Amino acid sequence: MEDFNPVSLAVPFFILAIVLEIILARLGWAKANYEPKDTFASLAMGLGSSVAGLATAGAIVATSLWVYEHRLFDIPMTAVWAWVLIFLLEDKTYYWFHRLSHERRFWWASHVNHHTSQHYNLSTALRQTWTGGVAGTWLLWLPLSLIGFPPAMVAIQKGISLVYQFWIHTEAIGRMPRWFEAVFNTPSHHRVHHARNPRYLDRNYAGILIIWDRMFGTFQSELDAEPCRYGVVRNLATFNPLRVAFHEWGAIGRDLLKSRSPREVALYLFGPPGWSPDGSRETSSQIRARWAKGQGAVSPAAEAETVLTPDGRSSSPA
Amino acid sequence: MDKAFLIQFTGSMTAVAILVALAALARIGRPSPGLDEARARTLLGEDFPDRNIDQLWIAREGRGALARSGACALVLIQVGDGYAARRLSWGQASSAMFRNGRLNIRLDEMAAPRAVLAFDNWPPKDLAA
Repeated sequence: MEDFNPVSLAVPFFILAIVLEIILARLGWAKANYEPKDTFASLAMGLGSSVAGLATAGAIVATSLWVYEHRLFDIPMTAVWAWVLIFLLEDKTYYWFHRLSHERRFWWASHVNHHTSQHYNLSTALRQTWTGGVAGTWLLWLPLSLIGFPPAMVAIQKGISLVYQFWIHTEAIGRMPRWFEAVFNTPSHHRVHHARNPRYLDRNYAGILIIWDRMFGTFQSELDAEPCRYGVVRNLATFNPLRVAFHEWGAIGRDLLKSRSPREVALYLFGPPGWSPDGSRETSSQIRARWAKGQGAVSPAAEAETVLTPDGRSSSPA
Repeated sequence: MDKAFLIQFTGSMTAVAILVALAALARIGRPSPGLDEARARTLLGEDFPDRNIDQLWIAREGRGALARSGACALVLIQVGDGYAARRLSWGQASSAMFRNGRLNIRLDEMAAPRAVLAFDNWPPKDLAA
């Protein structure tokens, strides 16, 4: 069971699903747009991510095993309750990893490439980071091994989460049944996450369960009145995978070279993306605030509570 | 290098090439008829909602645009079937190299190294003083 890798097993399914999405879109039976250079960039990022992951895999496995040796409890890998528990704990960990990866620049530099496509299709799901191991976000999963979950169990659950998140990168699926949308992350919820519209910025960080966003105040439903515009606030003018992978690290380096105090160094590294000492750039929350002001300042709570009608359209509860 | 890794990597590269070829054959990119003035203003308005556009020039075949906004230049760069927008000083844009009908603006960003816009002449004849 320790050799079970959900992601490796799912790769043929990923390829077939992309082929199917392209064919259905070509026949006009599903909504999907594929731009060849964009598709190349996404798939090259996915392939490169697998290779780059090998560089840090050893250190990550060794650290996880060392932490597990100092575990607090013995949790059996064969118990159903243990799988239910790790499903919930891993998914919550993913939420906070993902939120950190958007709200702090050091980790955004690693994650941003996943958001650089102006398209939203199944190939976008494979546009993965090359620098995640170096950025160290894997440390966030170590407490699970410290509690007593075997590292193999943690790795399997992380893999299941990644495989789950593949199918939600599509415009071909409108909305799932209402009960499903209420509990699980769906194509509709994740389209919002990939959108650059001010209303949608830094929302819906969920992995499998959308309940975390609802609990922690980062949920935003997709509104038919406001179609998602995909990409990042400052879209990339290149499809070069090297530039896609490293552009934000380069930008951090340039900012650090011109920083004038330890505070500036700290905020350029760990402040929100878009922070600048003179305010000449905007963070996501500043963009949202400016947008909200222009909209007549609809409260974030009222905005997030916008609900879906049974036919999939949106309406405000008030 | 490990033989199994090489086989897997080569197989993956082949799969990437096939999928990209399929995407190209399918021709299912977004319709991109080229920019007109209204579309350019809409796109610039999305990226720079607080800026007024004083003058706007659409590149040949609508493949990009350049706008003057006070002391700034706003540039729209075609990227596949989408666009990227950047703001720079007007001086930087107006003094950019113009050769063979192409204005080559250095943006000095890893994410957007340059903007190349095709114009009949530069600076434009209708440039306000």
